Amino acid sequence: MGTLGRTRPTTLACGEVRTCLLPTSQALDLRAAGHVLRLRADERVLASERPNLYALSPDTLMGVDCALPASNGAKVRAVGTVVARAALTEGRVLQAGSFFRVPDTGPDQRQPWGHYLVRPGVVEPLGKLPAQAVAEGLLKGGRPGELDPGLIAEGLLTRLLRHPLLDQKSPFKSRRTRLRWVALPVPDGHGPSIDFTVAEDDLRTVRLGIPEGTDQTAVVRLCEDLALHDWLLTTLVRMLDGSRFGSADGPMAVLALRPAVDHLMHLWMPRARVDRKLSALWEALEERPGFSRQWHTLVQRIRDQMALQAIPLLREALTAR
Amino acid sequence: MLVFAASDKGGTGRSVTSANLAYQRALAGDDVCYVDFDFGSPTAAAVFDVPGELGIDEGGLHTYLEAGTGEPARVDIWAHTLHPVLRNRPNGSGRLVLLPGDASGGEFATDQDTLRRCVDLLLRLNSEFDVIIVDLSAGRSYAMDMVLEATAQPELRSVEARWLVFHRWTRQHVLAASGLVFGEHGILNGAAAGLHDKDTLRQSIRFVRAAVPDPESALWSQVSPAQSVWMQRCDDYLRQLASDRKIGDSVVLGTVPLEPVLQWREQLITEEDVLSTQIANKETLEALEELARKLTDDAHWGQP
Ligand SMILES: Nc1ncnc2c1ncn2[C@@H]1O[C@H](COP(=O)(O)OP(=O)(O)O)[C@@H](O)[C@H]1O
Ligand SMILES: [Mg+2]
Repeated sequence: MGTLGRTRPTTLACGEVRTCLLPTSQALDLRAAGHVLRLRADERVLASERPNLYALSPDTLMGVDCALPASNGAKVRAVGTVVARAALTEGRVLQAGSFFRVPDTGPDQRQPWGHYLVRPGVVEPLGKLPAQAVAEGLLKGGRPGELDPGLIAEGLLTRLLRHPLLDQKSPFKSRRTRLRWVALPVPDGHGPSIDFTVAEDDLRTVRLGIPEGTDQTAVVRLCEDLALHDWLLTTLVRMLDGSRFGSADGPMAVLALRPAVDHLMHLWMPRARVDRKLSALWEALEERPGFSRQWHTLVQRIRDQMALQAIPLLREALTAR
Repeated sequence: MLVFAASDKGGTGRSVTSANLAYQRALAGDDVCYVDFDFGSPTAAAVFDVPGELGIDEGGLHTYLEAGTGEPARVDIWAHTLHPVLRNRPNGSGRLVLLPGDASGGEFATDQDTLRRCVDLLLRLNSEFDVIIVDLSAGRSYAMDMVLEATAQPELRSVEARWLVFHRWTRQHVLAASGLVFGEHGILNGAAAGLHDKDTLRQSIRFVRAAVPDPESALWSQVSPAQSVWMQRCDDYLRQLASDRKIGDSVVLGTVPLEPVLQWREQLITEEDVLSTQIANKETLEALEELARKLTDDAHWGQP
C-alpha cells in the first residue's frame, strides 16, 4: 500500500482475517468472483489463475477515531483509516480481512480528515504508542467501543455473504475461523519470527516479528494465506472427527466425506502467494505444528476410507458376473 | 434447515418441547442451534440448564437485532450446562448451541435494519448448523412477522424452512392453533400474504400436540369408569374438532404425552430420567425421539 503523506516508521501492524466456505452449490468462476468482490465501482478485482484461481477485491477504507485496546489499560486514542478487503480462493473459500499500521508516535492534536486520508491504512496515535501493550490488547480483543479489526472484517464478510450471486446452498456445513495478527519489528540483524496460537475454538492469534523495511502487503498476504490453510485444516479435521463420520457405517462414511474430496482437497497450496522473504515463517510452521504433515495425513485417511468402501462394491460387481 | 416453533397461546409447551427436539437432533449427530426469539420470556437457558435463567445481561439477540452488536452471544450447551448428564457430551453427538435473548428485552417493532440483521443471522447459522430451531413468541408477534418477512427475502428463499405449531389438547387450544394458521389474520392469510406462496408455506407447517393426556395411560388407571368414559369422549370430540379445523392427524407431526416431570419442571428429558432414575415416562422420551426423527425426514413434509 503506497503512502502519500509522510508517516513515522511503523512500529505495529495488525489485522484480522475471517475465513469461511462460500455459500454456493458450485464454486464460482473468476468472472462471477469478480462481481462478488467488486467492492468499489472505480477499481477492478484482481484475478489470477496460477498457481490456483484467486480473486482479490480492491481495498476499501474506513475512517476510525477511537481508543486502541491496550493490555495495561492505557488510554490511547487513535485516528486514521483501516483497510478492508476480501479474497476468494478457487471460487470456494471466502476471506474478509481488515488491517492497519500504527506509527510509534503521532500528532498530539487530532488533525483534519485530509491528513488521515492521504495515509490510507495508517492509524495514528495521539502522542506516543505503547506498542507492546496495544499489540497484546489487540490480540486479546478490546472492550466495546475500542478499535476492533474483527468487527470491520465481519461487517465486510456479512455484506459479501448476501450477494445475489450466492445461492446459499453450501455443499456442506462448516464454521468460520478468525485469525488475529499483530506484527512488531525485530531488532536489526534478526530474521522474521512467528508465533501461531489456537486461542479458542475458532480463534487463532499470530504474533509476527518483522525486519525493518518488510513490505506491509506481504505481511497481510502471509496472514491471509495462514488463515486460509488453517481454515482448510480445521474444516477437514472437523469433518473427519464429526459425529457423522465417527458413527457412520460404510456408505454413509463415504457420503459424509464426499464434500471434502469435491471441494477441499485440491485447495491445499501453502505459500502460493507469499513473498519469498517471508516464506521462512511458513517453514517454521511446517516444522511445528506441522500444517502440511497433518493435512496430508488426513487426506490419506480419507482416500483410504474411500478405497475401503469401494471393496464391497467391487465384490458385488464380481459376484454378479 | 430452519425450524420455526410457534404457538397461538403461551404455556403450550412450545419452548420446552422444541428445546427437547434440539437436544434429540444433536444426539442424532446433527449440529443444532437453538435461537431464543421468544422475546417476552427468554427461558431457554433454564431448560438447557445453563447460567442466565432469564436471558443474558447484554449481547443477546435483542441487542443484536436492535442495535447490531457484531454478533449475538452464543452458549455451547454441552460445555456450559449444569445438568450432570448433559455435561458428558455423548460420542457421536453434534453441536448444541444456544443463542440466548437478553434478560431486559421485550417485544420490539421491526424495521428494515432489524430485518436485515435477522436475515444475516439466519444465513450465517444456516451455513454452520444442520438444524436451527427458532423459538418464537406466542401469537402473531413481532418475532413471527419478522421471520416470515426474513424467509421471504431472496437470500433465504432457497433455505429449507419448516414450521411447528404447538398446542395443547383442549378445545380452546385447538381453535387457537387453527386460527393462528388458517384464521383471517393468521400466518397464511395475514402475516405471510403477499410474501410467500400460500401453498408452499402451508405444506411447510405441521402441528405438535403437547402435554396430551392419554386416557389409556397408566396415569389414569385409577379413575372411575364414568371418568374414563368421559375422558374418552372428550378425546374423540377433540379429534373431530381438530380435523374440522384443518389440523387433523394428516398435518400432525407428533403428539407428546402429558409428562409429570415436565409439569413440575421445564427441562430436557434424558435417557437417564427414563432408565436409571425412572422419573420420566418411557412414552414421553419415545414421543420426543420420534418427533425429532420426523422433523428432518422429508417423507413427513410437503403435501399431506
Ligand atoms: N408434555 C408435557 N407434559 C406436561 N407438562 C408440559 C409438557 N410440555 C411442557 N410442559 C410444561 O408446560 C409449561 C409451559 O411450557 P412452555 O414450553 O414454557 O410453553 P410455551 O413456550 O408455549 O409458553 C411448562 O411448565 C412446561 O414444563
Ligand atoms: Mg416459552
